[in-house]
Amino acid sequence: MTPQAIIKANGLSKSFFGNPVLQNVSIALEPGRIHALLGENGAGKSTLINLLSGALAPDGGEIEIDGRSHRRLTPSEARRAGIAVVQQELSLTSDLSIAENIGLGAYPRRFGLIDYKALARKAREVCDLVGLEENLSTPVGDLPLGRRQMVEIAKALFRKPRILVLDEPTSSLSAHEAQTLTRLLQRLRQEGTAILYISHRLNEVMRLCEHVTVLKDGKVTADRSLQGVDAAGLVRLMVGRDPGDLFPHWTPSPERQTIVEVAGFSSGLLRDIDLDIKRGEILGLGGLVGQGQEDLLLGLYGALPASARRAVFNNVAGLPSSVSRANALGLAYVPADRKREGLHLIHSIAWNMMLPDFGKARGLSRRDPAAERKLATELADRLSIKGDLTRQVQALSGGNQQKVALAKWMPADPPILLLNDPTRGVDVETKREIYVLLRRFAAQGKAIVLSSSDTPELVHLCDRVAVMREGGIAALLEREQISEEAIVAAAMGAEAAKVAA
Amino acid sequence: MSQANNSRFPAWSPKALLRNRAFLTVAIVILVWIVAGFAKPGFGSYGHLRYLLELAAVIGLVAIGQTYVVIAGGIDLSVGAIVTVSAVGVPLVALSGDGGGAFAVLIILAAATSIGFLNGLGVAYLRIHPMIMTLAMATFLQGVLILIAGGTAISAQNPLLAWLGNARIIGIPAGVLLWAVVSGAALAVLHATPFGARLYALGANPLASALSGINVQATTMAVYAVSGLTAGLAGVLILGMNGQGYVGIGDPYLLASIAAVVLGGTSILGGSGSYAGTIPGAILLVTITALITVVNASAGWRSILFGSLILLLLLLSGRESQRR
Repeated sequence: MTPQAIIKANGLSKSFFGNPVLQNVSIALEPGRIHALLGENGAGKSTLINLLSGALAPDGGEIEIDGRSHRRLTPSEARRAGIAVVQQELSLTSDLSIAENIGLGAYPRRFGLIDYKALARKAREVCDLVGLEENLSTPVGDLPLGRRQMVEIAKALFRKPRILVLDEPTSSLSAHEAQTLTRLLQRLRQEGTAILYISHRLNEVMRLCEHVTVLKDGKVTADRSLQGVDAAGLVRLMVGRDPGDLFPHWTPSPERQTIVEVAGFSSGLLRDIDLDIKRGEILGLGGLVGQGQEDLLLGLYGALPASARRAVFNNVAGLPSSVSRANALGLAYVPADRKREGLHLIHSIAWNMMLPDFGKARGLSRRDPAAERKLATELADRLSIKGDLTRQVQALSGGNQQKVALAKWMPADPPILLLNDPTRGVDVETKREIYVLLRRFAAQGKAIVLSSSDTPELVHLCDRVAVMREGGIAALLEREQISEEAIVAAAMGAEAAKVAA
Repeated sequence: MSQANNSRFPAWSPKALLRNRAFLTVAIVILVWIVAGFAKPGFGSYGHLRYLLELAAVIGLVAIGQTYVVIAGGIDLSVGAIVTVSAVGVPLVALSGDGGGAFAVLIILAAATSIGFLNGLGVAYLRIHPMIMTLAMATFLQGVLILIAGGTAISAQNPLLAWLGNARIIGIPAGVLLWAVVSGAALAVLHATPFGARLYALGANPLASALSGINVQATTMAVYAVSGLTAGLAGVLILGMNGQGYVGIGDPYLLASIAAVVLGGTSILGGSGSYAGTIPGAILLVTITALITVVNASAGWRSILFGSLILLLLLLSGRESQRR
């Protein structure tokens, strides 16, 4: 391809346990260009990054850096060549400070000891680049998810990379942080850094990137300039067919009975909020990251200590005191961090699907393996989870893992679903499937609370949207009032007020 | 439907057997027995193997609870002390009206279960790390035992225990039979009940388990109570075989139980494994001990040899597989 590419992969292939994940994939990253890598979950994007960063060795093909070809790139060779990767799964150590995390593995030394002064100075520089104003000695564990992501990016910049790979950097960022990142990437592009950008948010890709490589089932289906391609065209390239509408058509459900009612509800960040949740509706929770959305869901679910002046759940007065009690009242919760909170990665798909029942059933009753297999097969068919259900969940792609996290609640048929960012890091096709599923649940008369960091999702899917700000509900928008502008305005209101104060 | 089921749940294959740690441990035991049987006259005799199984029964019983606890993501360092409590306690609670001796045994088993329950209480509600909680419990019990029993051995006059320690039913020692029956129950609970599944859930991801509606505290308390019960049972069996109990009689069983669990392929990190591996693990352990006593060396060297062999076996039978 182009002669000036810094890094070039030629005909890479990689298989895991005999399953080809990448087949004959070539990609070339040029300085001063933001290159988008698109594909559904499981298309092989993460594997490709791991090959480029030396974390994995390819089965076939070669990687060329500055014209020198490598059959197998070691992580240290990749680092020396100036490749830095911002992983989707954060790789920070929560007990270390921001500065220590940023410098980890590349600490400036003085007389064989860490030169903390130089570290602080250099860390400050990169933090300024990404707009991190926190005290650099703050432990990373004390930061909200979005800020941690910025630390991760600062950590990559600390190494002064020539090639920067970002794997879904914006999935946990607020609108404001995402803007900072956009400006930063544009600056790096001018300085001649080669950037590989992975995102499921097509608007971002359209706005930022010049060139795109599309992976589908481990093969390159497109490698072209983004000039003259629209979002629909991109989706077509990814799924290999017309996208249709990402969101299903919104129709109001006939049933609108109130099923959950809380007044004076406090939990975690939340202070004294009133909320009612109705059957047949999807109630969206919007706002900046970490304004109490998760505390609301966990408080309702009995997983976080909560109090309320008045609470009625499914005709029963009082807040659920425990998760089992919440389950019994008909609540189910799908967490945002599916690997840590939602799934048992080392256990099989089928086993994960049975888990809520294991919690509910009499401890010493007999399990029925035949019935379990039958139920797991039905659930897998319903959610189109393909293949062997005895595989460990960690072998699945993000989208399929999310489907398992949803599937496990379906046998209980809970009337109230609490969903915490269910489409984070999920590919377009699976997103669509989840959207259709949620609208179908609403039509069946279930009540759904959907916390989401993806504003279009709130606009197109929800009947009402509660915009959260600093532990309160800043605005409760009815269907006809919901728009991206209205949500963002309500979410940002606090920032304007803070400036004024 | 069955067609779909087959593709979703692949049929059992001989290959899977080779990756099964329980099976591999059984294979190692058989191999060692065959080799030792040829190398050393008398090793392979029925009487000697029966003797090994009797020794393994005690370790095996202690290791039931240990396996449960380790699968559930914890560890129980108080099992040795509970074995001693039980072996010293039965003679102490002997009552005049208790002719068969069953009553004393029941009281002691209840006490052992309660001790385990207290461990669970500390781990589940006070959030004390299992290692600290159970170690503190062991130290506490040791103190109580010294106060009560002092340095003397206490003989048991208990007909039930005498029978348990010495009787043979169609040539099989009663203790081994007891182990077999309890093992069957332990395996059934682990693999065929929701309670068993909860242990695997807890060990693999306690947070996700809690959010899935599993009562983590109750399960934790139950699993340590089971560990107390099986350690108590082992103490009763030792007392029956030995005729008398003394402070320190249970000490060797702490490390032995953990070694049997790990030799049997249960991950010390929790979440995976089975008691099916611990059974041959316990037998392997006593076999190695028996072989080492043959070597003409001082006790110190025998101990060194024993430790090295355990490490070697662990390396041979596969290291901790990669975990996230």
